[in-house]
This record gives sequence, C-alpha cells and structure tokens, in this order.
Amino acid sequence: MIRITGGRVYDPANGINGEVRDLCMDGGSFVESVEGGRTIDATGMIVFPGGVDVHTHVAGGAINFARAMTPEDHRRTQAFIRTKTRRSGLGGMAPTTFATGYLYAGMGWTTVNEAAVPVLSARHTHEELADIPIVDKTTLTLMANNEIMLDQLENGEYERAKQVVAWYIWAAKSYGIKAVNPGGVAAWKWGKDAKQLTSPIEGYSKLTPGTIVTQLAQICEDLGLPHPIHLHCNNLGAPGNISTTIDTLKHLEGRRAHIAHCQYHAYGGDDWDTMCSETAQLADYFNAHPGITTDAGAVLFGDTVTITADGPWQHLLYKLTGRKWGNLDVENETSCGIVPYTYRPSNLVNAVQWASGLELLLLIQDPWQVFLSTDHPNGGCFWRYPEIIKLLMCADFRQECLKQLPDKIKGKIRLAEIDREYTLYEIATSMSAGPARALGMPKKGNLGIGSDADVVIYEEDEDVERMFGHPRYVLKGGEVVIEDGEIRETPEGREFLIKPACDPGIDDFMRPLFEECYTMSFENYPVELERIEHAEFADCLGSTRS
Amino acid sequence: MGGKVSCTLGEVKQRADFIVYWGGNPAECHPRHFTKYTLMQKSKFLPRGRKDRTMVLVDIRETKSAKASDIFLQVRPGKDFELITILRALIKDQNVSDEAIADTGLTREVLDDLVQRMKSAKFGCMFFGMGLSMTRGKHMNSAALLTLAAEMNAFTKFVAMPMRGHGNVTGADVMMRWQTGYPFGITFNRGYPRYNPGEFSTVDVLVRGDCDAAFIIGADPGGTMPQPAIDHLKRIPTIVLDPHVTHTSKLARVHITTAPQGIAAPGTAYRMDEVPLPLKPPLKSPYPTDEYVVRRINEAIMAKPFWLPDGSQPQMLTAQV
Repeated sequence: MIRITGGRVYDPANGINGEVRDLCMDGGSFVESVEGGRTIDATGMIVFPGGVDVHTHVAGGAINFARAMTPEDHRRTQAFIRTKTRRSGLGGMAPTTFATGYLYAGMGWTTVNEAAVPVLSARHTHEELADIPIVDKTTLTLMANNEIMLDQLENGEYERAKQVVAWYIWAAKSYGIKAVNPGGVAAWKWGKDAKQLTSPIEGYSKLTPGTIVTQLAQICEDLGLPHPIHLHCNNLGAPGNISTTIDTLKHLEGRRAHIAHCQYHAYGGDDWDTMCSETAQLADYFNAHPGITTDAGAVLFGDTVTITADGPWQHLLYKLTGRKWGNLDVENETSCGIVPYTYRPSNLVNAVQWASGLELLLLIQDPWQVFLSTDHPNGGCFWRYPEIIKLLMCADFRQECLKQLPDKIKGKIRLAEIDREYTLYEIATSMSAGPARALGMPKKGNLGIGSDADVVIYEEDEDVERMFGHPRYVLKGGEVVIEDGEIRETPEGREFLIKPACDPGIDDFMRPLFEECYTMSFENYPVELERIEHAEFADCLGSTRS
Repeated sequence: MGGKVSCTLGEVKQRADFIVYWGGNPAECHPRHFTKYTLMQKSKFLPRGRKDRTMVLVDIRETKSAKASDIFLQVRPGKDFELITILRALIKDQNVSDEAIADTGLTREVLDDLVQRMKSAKFGCMFFGMGLSMTRGKHMNSAALLTLAAEMNAFTKFVAMPMRGHGNVTGADVMMRWQTGYPFGITFNRGYPRYNPGEFSTVDVLVRGDCDAAFIIGADPGGTMPQPAIDHLKRIPTIVLDPHVTHTSKLARVHITTAPQGIAAPGTAYRMDEVPLPLKPPLKSPYPTDEYVVRRINEAIMAKPFWLPDGSQPQMLTAQV
C-alpha cells in the first residue's frame, strides 16, 4: 500500500493536466484510498504514468546477434555491478537483458513492446524477455514475408490466410503482428527487394506488396487484435521514399494501423546528394487521418548498431559503410540484418534524418498519434530518450543544435522554422498514454482507478534532459523500484499475449506445408505456454475469452 | 571484415543450389547434414533434390565426404586463408599471380570454374568446420570465409555457417551473449562481465592457475585440455555435474551425477543455426537435473552473507576503466 501525495499529476488518459492530486495503490493497481502503508510526499514534484515503448528491439535472435557483433562497444560502455539481489550487465548500444530492465526502469519506462519476433526463434525471445526484470512486455510476430501466408494471399485464399496468421500468433505466444518491408524480405531470399507497391514480388506471379499491406491490415482487424497492424513500410531509408509511404497509407484505406519509425520513411530527393525531408507531407496525412498512429524512430547523433528484419536494406547499408554486416535469413518467415552505424552531424544524410524525426514529432499535431521512439537501437539507444524530450520541449536548444549541421542543409529540412514546444502534458501523452492506447493496453499509461500502478515521479528541473533521465521515484505495479537514483527492487515483469480465435482444422492444413519448408518437427514448433513467465492474457476486440 | 551472413538450415534445404563444405567432414561428423538439409532434400525451388544441387568439398585430404561431392578441391595444408583471399580477388576480377595460385595446390582453371559456378548459383551456402577454424590462421580463416560470403552478395545470394558440434555449445554461446554481451572467455572478477579470449578463456585461466575453484557442467576438460590446465584442476576443489564418469569427474573433488539432457532432463538446445529446440525427455532418471542442482547450490549461496559489504560498490559505472 502506497500513497503519493501533493504531486502535480499529468494523466492524459483521464484528461488530468498538472492538477495536484493524491494517488493510492494497493495490490499492483490504483485504488480510491488506502489505510496505512508508505506515503511518498511528492509536493512540488511531477507525476507521470510509467513510460510505454511502442517499438523497441530488446530481446531475441536479432539483438543478440548485434551483441555478438559489438564487443568493442561493451568494453567502453556503462556497467552494472552485481549485488546480492541484482545481476550484472552492460549498457551501451545493445544492452544485456538485465541491464535493459534496469535502464528502462531507471528512466521511468515500465512497459516495452519487442517489435520483431520470428516464430521459429520465439522460444529464444521469450527466454530473453524472462531475463529482463521490472518492465512488462509484449511481442509482435513477423508476418508480412511468411511464405505459407503469402501463398494463401497469392491464391486469393483470404480466409485461410487469416487462420494461418491466428495460428502463428498463438504458436509464437505473441501480442500482435509486425509487417516489415512486405514482400521485400521474401524477395531478399533471392537477393532481391520489393520497391514498388504495385509490382509482383520476386517468386510470385500476382502478389504485390500493396496487396499484403491491405489484406494483412484487414486480417488484424478481423481477428480483433488489440494492437492493429504494426507496419514497417517498403523502401526504408531510401531517398524519395515518401511516395511509397503515402502510397502505403492509401492502401490501408481507413483501417487501423500503426506505422513504425516513420522518420525513416519521410524522405524526398532522388539520391543521397539530393535527399531531403518530406515530413510535412507525411504529417499532413496523419493530421487528416486520426485513426492511424506512428512512432518517430528519431535519430540521435552518435554510435549505434542498426538491426532490422529488412535484410535487403542492411545489405545496402553494408555496401555504403563497409562496416561489419550480419545477416540471418529465417526459413519461411523473415530475415534479419545487423550493421553498426555512426550518425554524424557533418553527414548531410544523417543531418536530414536527425531533423526529420523531430519534425514529425512536432508537425503531427496530436500527441495521441505520434510517439517517442528511436526504433532502439536503430536511430539511437532507448536510454537517450531524455535527449529527445529536451529537443521537443526547448525550441532554443533545437536552434542551438541546428548550428552544428552543415550549411548545405538549408532547404533540405523544415526544423528551423518550427517553434512548437511540447508541454509536459504532451510529453506524457507521447511517451505513455498514447503508446499504451495504440497497443490496446487500457491499464497502462493510465493513472485511473483500477489501472496498473506504474508511476514515475520527477523532481522539477530546468534541465529537462536531467529531469527525465533521473526520476526521483519509479513505481512498477505499486512497488518502489527506483528511488533517489538507486535501484531498490527488481520484480519480474509480466508478458502480455493474446489467443485469437482459430479454426481447429488449421493444424491439419498447416502440417504438410510446414513439413515441406521447416526443419523442426511440427509438434516442437509452437512455444509452450508454460515457458512464458508471468503470462497475462489480453482480450481480442469483439470477443469474449473462454 | 567482420560480421556473419547466414541463414537457418531450412533456407539451405529449400533454396541452396550450391553448397561448399570447407575443412569439414560431414559424412562422418554430421552424418544427417546431407540428408536433412543440404543435398538430398527436394523443395518447391529444387524439385529434383540432389540433381538440382552442386556440392563442393574443400579439404586437405580426401575424406569420406568427398564421395558425396561433385567437386573435390584438395588445398595444401595451411593454405586455406590464401585460397580464400585468392577467391575474394577472383570474384572481383582482380589479378592474381600464377605462383600465388600454385602455392595453394590448385590450378587457375579449377578456381575460374569454381568462381563461375559460385556466381551463377541462385543461392550459395558455405559450411566451414574445424579444419578451417582450428588450423593455422584460426579465426582469421573463419573471418576470411565469412567475408567471401558477404562479398558474394554483390553477385548473387550467398551465406556461410560454421559446422558447430559438441551438444549445446551454441546454446551456451547464445545465453551468455544475452546475459553478458559476450559469447565466452568472460570474467566477472570486477563484478561485471569483461571479455578477452586468450586471457579469460577457461584453458588460459586454468593454465595460469588464476582460479581457486572449478565448477564444470556437461564438459570433459580433463580429456581435452593441456596438462598444466588438468594439473590445476587437480589442485583446486573441482566440482563436476555429469551423467557419466569422465576424465574430469575422476579428478574432481565432487562429482554429482545428473540426468542426461534430452534423454531424462528437459530444456532447450540451440542448433548450429541458433534455432532453439525444446528437449522432451522420453525417460525418467533417478538423478536430479543439472538445473535442479544448480538452483539448490544457488539457494545455499544466497543464504550466506554477500561477499562484499553493502554499499561498498557503486551500482553502476558510467564508463569502464
């Protein structure tokens, strides 16, 4: 039982904007009142719902591949020292599992969405997630290049495709669907890509990326997934890709959708020399279509490691940079690529990327639509979010930062003309309430009675970056986990998953197809429910769980 | 140089029309590899199975695997790195001297033919074994081959994969990476993980006599490590968890017999391509599992006071020294 008194509360889910209120919690949830227990005096402090990361890569084969490829970074980064109750670990570009939990909680984030899981290695992802303490987790299954599913769409078997998707979600014990470069990764299996939404994909006669986008979005609707299709569009990172992105959005035609890391999809120009920001066009689309959400995928200057299921893009990045390249194609399902990368302010392309991420956050008017993310670790590491918050809240600071960009940037970006500054209420929306709503998690990012008691309390500070980087208290499930900059408790987090309704005959349909292209036995493929630590079921929309 | 361009074995089964085994003898060491993944399987892309695939074996001697190959290339011992480097040049149409080629024990005609076949493949895969990774040049050889595979992607789809063995060595590697950031050769002596193969690898720590106890699970260093390492294991309290009596268990102070993994103990094993497979034991064992024993030991340690006084260490170092 804990009572937080006297703090200025920012709770966008309930329209509370800086009112002084008391919060009471018991048994992991907010309650009307408590008798006894600890009282935290938050007078003069700022109270937010715990942060929710809608798009991050913290566990599984891809990030673990990145860890293997970057020992030089582990050696120079921050280190967590083992104590009687805490495990040791390393931070940096690709933090180890225990450190991931400590770092997220340490800056007040209490829920994370691991956005790209191949089903074949989902067992591994869940094992890693079990080793990430404190935060609650969800996972999304990679589906837009799954050949068994694509074959159904190619043959016009929509209903069957829907059943296949439902089967895979449950096999992976996941929370929703991620689509990465629809068709492009399947083409990458032959060393190709898919750049045109309306051209047939390599190896298919009529199936196009556009069809995959439309039908997979519809499948997510029909299955009633709490989080709609989570879409990484085609042509990521390429100059002039804005036309692909807008075209993709039009293919969604009024369906719900979440567009991942939109910064990487908002460029004009014809080549690297002429590349420029086209964020205004993309922001206009979002401003006119309140039903779709996105996360920024903002870029921060410095070292990082890029990891994505978008294999062909990573091959291009390897050729551009000449740095290490990791690639892992996963049978029937997807690919993944790893390339270490350094974003430099002196590099014109990087400068455009840096500005574009911020522009999208500032030009999309409704913070319920655009969320704080760096597509960790692609645009920058998640523990650098406080730097972005400062850039959003302080226009003067932005202008300062713009000065370090090369002169040639003029005319390529819009950032200098934007004077909007985020309010605390808007930050709370973009880092917590908004992503929680987009994920379909009503008890997250919400300080109302009955919601999960995940709270972050900041001591007001003129230096916004310091304030958001070092909360005074963080509470997870009603337990104080961070206090005065120290980790106090390290409870295990929960994992949310769904079980979409599925035709029982689908097993018999899947088995022969599975045996043709996979190399493990059909029975061993689905992750057993008992392997998920602290599993918690979420409901599909319009369904009642039995 | 650096990185790894790879795939899961199902991709090889489905697509690979060109397969190279380099410094490995799968016919005797991975006897199911040909039939399950690389040669005999038919797929929608390779409907005629073996007839649609070309297999090249590169080795210093004609092993039993040569019988299964279409092309056998006998490289002179210790010249693998040179041969790979020559291939990296040839695929890019760079000049290579006749002497350099002759030094590898092969001819220009053979290598030109190989390069032409590699480039005209739709999906090439190179598997490399300890004949490459553990002979002169060691990790440099592996890095060169991985780089060749990466560079081949400028022409066609190409991947490479080590032929790993020894039970669940990949699983240990995967798990250490997510918990510590490093695959092996890790020390925790400053309270956080540091990595330096050659310094912190088990054999080096033992030979230097740097550890004062050893805890060994599912391995038999007493049968494979150099004598100074074995001598040190005899000097210090060595504890072994193993289903069998082994060289190591005979020299150990304590041997706890445990249930064999996969036969009588459940768990997860990671295949050489890092695909996690569940182990479903068909038999029961009177012995406890490794996991149970380790948990019990851990609980006993947790009941003792921590080895450092509370607050004597910072929680985190912002930068390592």
